[in-house]
Amino acid sequence: MFTSEFLPLALENVSSEAARRKTDGWRFVQLLAVADNTGTGDRDSTVDLVYSYMKDGMLENLVVKGVSVGDGADVDEVASITDKYLSAFVFENEVHDLFGVHITNIAIDFAGHFYQVPVREPMTIISPEQKVARERAAKMAAMKAAKEKAEANGAGDGAKKDAAKSEADIEAKLAALPPEKAAKIRAAMEAKAAKEKAAQGGEASNE
Amino acid sequence: MSKATIIPFGPQHPVLPEPLHLDLVVEDETVVEAIPQIGFVHRGLEKLVETRDYNQFIYVAERICGICAFGHSLGYAETVESLMGVEVPKRAEYLRVIWHELSRVHSHLLWLGLAADAFGFESLFMHCWRLRERILDIFEKTTGGRVILSVVSVGGVNRDINASQMDEIIHTLEGIEHDYHEIMQVMLNDGSVKNRTVGVGYISHESALDLCMVGPFARASNVAYDVRMFGHGGYGELSDFQPLCATEGDCYARVKVRCEEVLQSIAIIKEMAAKIPAGDIAVPVKGSPAAGAEAANVLEQPRGECYYYARGNGTKYLDRMRMRTPTSQNLAGMVSVLEGCDLADVNMIILTIDPCISCTER
Repeated sequence: MFTSEFLPLALENVSSEAARRKTDGWRFVQLLAVADNTGTGDRDSTVDLVYSYMKDGMLENLVVKGVSVGDGADVDEVASITDKYLSAFVFENEVHDLFGVHITNIAIDFAGHFYQVPVREPMTIISPEQKVARERAAKMAAMKAAKEKAEANGAGDGAKKDAAKSEADIEAKLAALPPEKAAKIRAAMEAKAAKEKAAQGGEASNE
Repeated sequence: MSKATIIPFGPQHPVLPEPLHLDLVVEDETVVEAIPQIGFVHRGLEKLVETRDYNQFIYVAERICGICAFGHSLGYAETVESLMGVEVPKRAEYLRVIWHELSRVHSHLLWLGLAADAFGFESLFMHCWRLRERILDIFEKTTGGRVILSVVSVGGVNRDINASQMDEIIHTLEGIEHDYHEIMQVMLNDGSVKNRTVGVGYISHESALDLCMVGPFARASNVAYDVRMFGHGGYGELSDFQPLCATEGDCYARVKVRCEEVLQSIAIIKEMAAKIPAGDIAVPVKGSPAAGAEAANVLEQPRGECYYYARGNGTKYLDRMRMRTPTSQNLAGMVSVLEGCDLADVNMIILTIDPCISCTER
């Protein structure tokens, strides 16, 4: 029977967890890095690391979230597990060369020359397609949040409910628009609301 | 103490058409250290997943390697199906197993031929490849392609194998089996083969476990691990499956395991052909993988366990697709087994590990 699951792992426990798994008879399967979608500009600056171990058909993928990569001063250092599992040297050199993950004390360390790639850390580059996909995902999340907010506010009376729904619909539509356009529409709506309020104030004073 | 000399091996070497470079540190004729170097053909195929939707990427996945092409498309499809919760029709699962096992037969025959060529047994090489051609003919008749088959899709397969084609496959395999027994007899009993393989490149059971080796390389050191034993997809319908192992741990054991696996694969195909149910060969797959959804999967490729990982982002594109190939996992074992061997045995040892650098670098 085969099972696969994802479990969290703290960065400082990478080495001790490998030691524990080695003692318990787990086989090291692989290490991979994946950009965590928080990057802005041209490159991702943090990645998730996934360490996979297998024993008796159980594949456990331990995920280390938000490891900072690149050349900055605050870059995270990840302890090598090659002293426990030598076979990890391939993957540790790979995540260093392709993602810029800083790994210390790799048993067979190629010091950035494992892959002959023309671009430094190519897997952290945010492609235009990826940028579009991320923007779309953010819009979808905003729309979903606005809808949920409207549903939560929907316990009031009918008019209030309709007003909230209409407000939520407008918010959802604005979330789907480019930020500059949305800001312009919001400014126009606010101006209109202020004008209406001023007009109402004038009518009241005349009465 | 003799002086240490470094002898470069590859990336262009007659015995291995793969771009693998080794710095062999030798003292007299003995290798004391082997330092591997790959990275000459990194193509960035995993990065392409960001610009191809999950249906298009299947054609990229199967171009990772010309020998494991079907396996990569299958492993990728299974991972995306797991990510999206797609259930594949039974008939498609059987068809996938049949093509995957045919791929294993073709891969092992190709490898046996290369091994024969490496120790100078040219006629044996030709006979192995002659049989392999008949497998490629089956591929061509059933899929239209000989190397890149393009029959797997997310949700099933694109083509069916009808009853007459199935009979023809079984008839061809019976013919291959007959000829193959003669080849196997030579491979396992001929003195010229044994002289180059018995006792060469030994790796113990404990070392194989310690170095996390996979595939025939590990099974030759009596590590009873084969992903097919988990009963994924159509493999779950087999009446019995046991990994084929050897205890010797040397080059000869690795030849033996692969030789026997060819017959095992033929038996699996026959059983699948006899049991295959009628029905659909694919289900329509709509929607996109959820944002942040992750899936991991393993598949037994001809060279060993291959690991697949996918992460969705709520669109039809994936954020990440990862293939960890068996060769990546076996590089540590290869470095270890080369230490202490004779320089003249290096090519035989590397060949019996059967590294695939194209797969490894992607």
